[in-house]
Amino acid sequence: MVSEYALGLGIALLCAVLVFAALSREWDDLHRLLLVDLVEIPSLAIVALVGTDLAEALILPGLVVGIAEMLALSQIYLLKEGLQERPEGRLRIEVIEKADAPVILSLVLVCYGIVLSGFTGGGIAALGMIFLFMAKGAREPHELLETAAGISWAVWIGAFFVFMFAPQYWLLAVLAAGFGILIKVMVKLSLVGGMWGKPHD
Amino acid sequence: MIELEGAPLFTLEFGDILVYFTPYTASLFLLALLFTAIVVLSRPERQVEILFGTDACYAKDTSIEELRFRRFMSIACGLATMGAMVSGDVFDYTLFTALVGVTNVGIVAAVKSRHVQNAAFQYGIVALAGTLPLFGGAAIVVASTGTLSILRLAGGTAPGAPLLAKALLTLGVMGEGMAPFYAAKAEMFRAPGAPYVIMCSLSSLLIFLRVIEVVLVI
Repeated sequence: MVSEYALGLGIALLCAVLVFAALSREWDDLHRLLLVDLVEIPSLAIVALVGTDLAEALILPGLVVGIAEMLALSQIYLLKEGLQERPEGRLRIEVIEKADAPVILSLVLVCYGIVLSGFTGGGIAALGMIFLFMAKGAREPHELLETAAGISWAVWIGAFFVFMFAPQYWLLAVLAAGFGILIKVMVKLSLVGGMWGKPHD
Repeated sequence: MIELEGAPLFTLEFGDILVYFTPYTASLFLLALLFTAIVVLSRPERQVEILFGTDACYAKDTSIEELRFRRFMSIACGLATMGAMVSGDVFDYTLFTALVGVTNVGIVAAVKSRHVQNAAFQYGIVALAGTLPLFGGAAIVVASTGTLSILRLAGGTAPGAPLLAKALLTLGVMGEGMAPFYAAKAEMFRAPGAPYVIMCSLSSLLIFLRVIEVVLVI
């Protein structure tokens, strides 16, 4: 009888082989970029197959490194193809631009995100902020948001040091980590798609 | 372990996540540190090109903006290499190796030349595809032995890692660093700016030397 792990690993490796076969036959650069994104999925599946707490801790950095490489490659693709035009499409709906509804909706989402805290809360609060920026057509203050993200990231890392070296203050560290990651995820997500062209223009 | 690289000089353990120095990894670490210092201090070369069939020649200048970005990427690459040298668990090693791959692409991608950018893109595709065997290998190690710590795997307290995991790890590092396969990187070396481009080669060489050690002891 084949164990579940071996079966899962076999299927994941088969998927990987299929993707690599597709990658070796594809010559269009954009399609290859998309196929390479597909390569990431079996690799996450192989990590997830371990099925312990450790695997959960390993997936996140793997995913982050993959996304970072993907973003870097997309940027290089834009550069080498000379695609420099910034899309200026905004929501041109009078009800959204003039009314107070987007503000209220965003406020609800941000408040709910703060209550949830952590990664999930950050994601939901970021949704509210992205919606507000899109609806109001406002330019985000990039420098301010980046600074906030940097400081909250440092708070998050600091909390981990408290866990390691002074575990008796774990409650403080949990609160600091939850707060730090909330702000960081919220800010980083709300910057998505907003940072084009030259830095600080 | 002891025959291969000497007894650990220093170990800092947080459960499965640990940092250790042996004479072998310490010397690799020092090499990475030294070269990072050289990158911080030195100024980029000015590549001279000769027009074929004439006696005309011109020197390429690296603009300040490009220099800053490439120097930053080289320093990041040096730090990632140092991390890969000292990390004592398989997963952190693979993460740092993946980071070396990204920063290697970054070092050359800032050059305003279509050939270089094209090569950087193709190399980036290989590096990204290399994360599958890399993380897959590390995951199979932890699934089959229950630990990621290289010291425990080498000490014989845990069962040895399967051959598949070792093969995948090596394949992954070949994808990220491409240390012995310079032909694929040849176009990237048209990028001017000597100390930064050499960082690509040095980091790939170092991660390759380290993976040989890891695969032999686990």
